[in-house]
Amino acid sequence: MKLLIVDDEVEICDFLKSFFEERDYQVITATSGEEALEWVEKAKPKVVLLDIKMPGMSGIEVLEAIKQKEPGTKVIMVTAIETRDKIEQCLRLGADNYITKPLSLEYLENDVREKIEGLSRPSRN
Amino acid sequence: MTSYDYQEALKNAAKSMVRVKHPRRLLRMMVRFLDREVGLTHSSILIYDQFKARYIFIDSKGSQRIPVNLIKLDATNPLIRWFSDRDQLFKVKRDYLTTQSLSGWMEDPHSISNGSVAVEAKLRLRQLNDAMKTLKAAVCIPGHYKRELLGVLILGDKLNHESFTSEELSFFQTLANDAAMALKTAAYQEDLLAKNVELEMQKKRLQLQLKEIEALRKKEQETYYEIVMSLAQEVHAKDPYTSGHLRGVERLGVMTAQEMGYDLSGRAKDILVAALHLHDVGKIGIPDQILKKPSPLTEEEWKIMKLHPEKGAKILAPLSGFKEVAKIVLCHHERYDGAGYPAGLRGEQIPFESRIISVVDAFHAIISTRSYKKGYPLEAAYQELERCAGTQFDPRVVQAFIRAHKRLMAKSKDVEATPKTAAS
Repeated sequence: MKLLIVDDEVEICDFLKSFFEERDYQVITATSGEEALEWVEKAKPKVVLLDIKMPGMSGIEVLEAIKQKEPGTKVIMVTAIETRDKIEQCLRLGADNYITKPLSLEYLENDVREKIEGLSRPSRN
Repeated sequence: MTSYDYQEALKNAAKSMVRVKHPRRLLRMMVRFLDREVGLTHSSILIYDQFKARYIFIDSKGSQRIPVNLIKLDATNPLIRWFSDRDQLFKVKRDYLTTQSLSGWMEDPHSISNGSVAVEAKLRLRQLNDAMKTLKAAVCIPGHYKRELLGVLILGDKLNHESFTSEELSFFQTLANDAAMALKTAAYQEDLLAKNVELEMQKKRLQLQLKEIEALRKKEQETYYEIVMSLAQEVHAKDPYTSGHLRGVERLGVMTAQEMGYDLSGRAKDILVAALHLHDVGKIGIPDQILKKPSPLTEEEWKIMKLHPEKGAKILAPLSGFKEVAKIVLCHHERYDGAGYPAGLRGEQIPFESRIISVVDAFHAIISTRSYKKGYPLEAAYQELERCAGTQFDPRVVQAFIRAHKRLMAKSKDVEATPKTAAS
């Protein structure tokens, strides 16, 4: 149940970390794209919550890199940017979902759980 | 915290609330105030966003603050349900919620729930507890307006780990209620503003519609004018002496009316102009041998001739929009002293347009070389009109007409300056 939370705002990382930890997830946080990629290689999280707008590497670049290195990793984009273009771009690059802020924690947790359970089950096709 | 003067704080807070017009700024002030003065792990305000039907954090301060703009709570959130539900599941006042009282209830759900639904109550309390934990809340205070939950003040634990006193709780409640009131007032004002904008837009739309109507009216007027002119030309063709120069008649008549101070805005001018052109339209119905007779008419012939005002009115009456014109035409041979025809009306009983027409018409008769009368010099024509003022003519009309005619003469020589030579 390893979950990587990536957001350049520490506060957001901390808040979501404690939310998921209370629900028995193992949570790692990263505040930049570069740091996130290191964690993806080192800790192999099953799900990544990824902010799009970050200084340095953008979430979209990180998404591309994750899907190249670890295609099995589920990536949920979490962002305030909500243009059709961005959403389509993310989905084209292999994002597994796209959630806009402000988000519903219940929805987020359900989605994360779904992705993790989906991974533990054999492929449906 | 025990030495804190809540009465004073409340008074100050209330004072600032009155000053602050924007409720969001007010709420941020409240959060800053609580964070600075009370000493909590965090002070946060959740408010209802009516456009998106969700509750969002507008501000949060403190070491354990909740990131603003990250999360939203919808109506199904246990905390929101707790403060907005009016169900009978729990027998407890929902004026505020503390983790302390909540853990007490969780130990003994029966104490606050109706026995038969204790299982559901237990589940709901556990969800409520989770929700509070997620928000790191020690106390939640709802802000209601009537029965509507406008927001929730969410406070973390005290930094000194003491529990909240009832004095503090009632202070928070007052704050939350005042904030709700401020929010509602602002929403009301925004509503008013929106309504104002709406009204402005309606006004704009109406103005546009008015413009269209104005354009239609203008078009209608043009059509009306065309009908009048073609009818008038008909009359003119039959009796070239009748109206003299059509345009000249129109100008003289209108100028006389203006000289007398009549308001010719809107349809009034159309009516006068139409009547000026059409007053003799009834002559269409008079046999040519009478109309064009070069010698004086016999008494029988005169009787027939005198029918032309009535014939004219009859011609015009069926035309929509010509009702007033018909009436004026009917009266254009009435005399000021009551000796005219067909009805023998006198003075003000005669429509002013008819009184004007009779002067304009007579003037033309005088200055034109009619088949039964030799032309007059201009001054003699004026004198002739003045001689008949008070008997045949309204003296005011005569005076106004002479003034108007003199002005017209001074302005242009070609309108009515020289008597028209008779058409052969």
